[in-house]
Amino acid sequence: MENSQNSNSNLNPNPIRIQNLVSSPIAVLWPTIDGSLGLSEEESVSYARRFYKFGFALLPFLWAVNCFYFWPVLRSRSFPRIRPYIVGSAIGFAVFMAIISSWALTFAIGGERLFGPVWDKLVMYNLADKLGLTGWS
Amino acid sequence: MAQNQRPTSILESLGEEIVRIVAPVSICMFMVVILVSILNSSSSSSAATVSSIATIAYNESSSDSLWDKFTGALLNSLVFVAIITVATFVMVLLFYLRCVKFLKYYMGFSAFIVLGFLGGEIALFLIEDFDVPVDCFSFLVVLFNFSAVGVLAVFMSKMPILVTQGYLVLIGMLVAYWFTLLPEWTTWALLVALALYDLAAVLLPVGPLRLLVELAISRDEDIPALVYEARPVVYHESSPRDAVQTRMRVWRERNEISGNLPAVLDSVSEGNVISESSVDEIETSDSNPNSESSVVRAEEGQVLIRNSELLVPLIDIGGNVQPHGEEVSASNENLMLEGIGLGSSGAIKLGLGDFIFYSVLVGRAAMYDYMTVYACYLAIVAGLGITLMLLAIYQKALPALPVSIALGIMFYFLTRLFLEVFVVQCSLNLLMF
Repeated sequence: MENSQNSNSNLNPNPIRIQNLVSSPIAVLWPTIDGSLGLSEEESVSYARRFYKFGFALLPFLWAVNCFYFWPVLRSRSFPRIRPYIVGSAIGFAVFMAIISSWALTFAIGGERLFGPVWDKLVMYNLADKLGLTGWS
Repeated sequence: MAQNQRPTSILESLGEEIVRIVAPVSICMFMVVILVSILNSSSSSSAATVSSIATIAYNESSSDSLWDKFTGALLNSLVFVAIITVATFVMVLLFYLRCVKFLKYYMGFSAFIVLGFLGGEIALFLIEDFDVPVDCFSFLVVLFNFSAVGVLAVFMSKMPILVTQGYLVLIGMLVAYWFTLLPEWTTWALLVALALYDLAAVLLPVGPLRLLVELAISRDEDIPALVYEARPVVYHESSPRDAVQTRMRVWRERNEISGNLPAVLDSVSEGNVISESSVDEIETSDSNPNSESSVVRAEEGQVLIRNSELLVPLIDIGGNVQPHGEEVSASNENLMLEGIGLGSSGAIKLGLGDFIFYSVLVGRAAMYDYMTVYACYLAIVAGLGITLMLLAIYQKALPALPVSIALGIMFYFLTRLFLEVFVVQCSLNLLMF
């Protein structure tokens, strides 16, 4: 299922984080949570940007996946180009979750007392019955 | 783990590989069993069976005679297998005509349908069962998010591995649950027919899946299909001083690999040399534990830095089982829906159809009793182990369905006929259990 479009033409090495050249372990910080199986830094920038922009299409889950994927970027500050997108995704996800959970909890806890007869029309199981969604059409 | 360098034993490397493929299969089966137990116990036993292409020929009703049910189920399964064969041949044709984009879009579309509609229906079942007071807006938003991210995970190759694997298991679970809603005889006949079809399609020279695999190999491409790929096993350096875990990641283009092998070996044989290869992201894995090199992976090249005495690193391309020394020449196969193979990174790939039909078997067993579930689960895992062993021996794409389904069905009927009577009688007479 791998469908990488990496062209092997440009050989721009990303900055190598070398602590000590001689006889010591070289610590490389990967921007993705998959480590060496994941993306390199150049690709990460474009992917982080794309996830961030797509998340605005009512997809907070994509923002959450973005934060999860680039978790090392959030933990350490050594990826200045990727970080703004991830921080933006994290903030967006938090805001969205606040909105949705407050609405859902109000709806669930408030119930009929708060909403009146509209509650019965909005709740999902009634709606499913009315529209016959569970009839395995 | 010993602190002095010792090669990882067969048990650790092979066991790790097997666990990484058996675990998601088990999770999928477990979730299907849970779904079946929750949703089928609450609704009445005479739930309306779903009419689909699998029941196009005959719709079973409980009043028919045994022979009628049998012939009806046989007819159903033949029709289904015929439809699957035609569809597979169409896919081979499309792949041959290089319509790979269309196949990818179709894959994404089917993932969206399964996650959105099937997932939505099952979620609605659960909501109705538990009377969860969720409103339609939040439900729709959550469902939309869930299916959109799922389509992206299946479509794009660069999502977090966990997310992609999780979504594939979820898709398998949803389709498997849907299949368990078929009438009983039809389900069993379907499983047998599909196991036989899988055997024929992968092993016969005229089989569509074998054609697909050979096409993919000859072009060095990946088949666009729903395939679960286990995370490749990283061979850790057992010494804690080696902080970097080196691993092998083989790209699809084998000719590039062979072309760059001499380059990498040359560079390594000199001391303290920094060299670059022009192939993206090929790393050598230091499977020889006496070395102390570390590999730093640069952008689109490779930098190899060596500190002290170094023996030539083994380029372990068949990352599956190192002691067996598998080569990449046999490991670049993957199958469409059914079948097991080795992915281009040396990790084991298992088609999503295998997930689905294993879970269908176990789900059907769950509809009878949990005893059959345990027996069938053990049988299926044993069959999967046998298939993996055969994969290691034969080094080509193999059908993963036949052995497991045969063992599973055999154990289901044996359990139902013999074991259950035994256990029930023992329990009733307070003998054991």
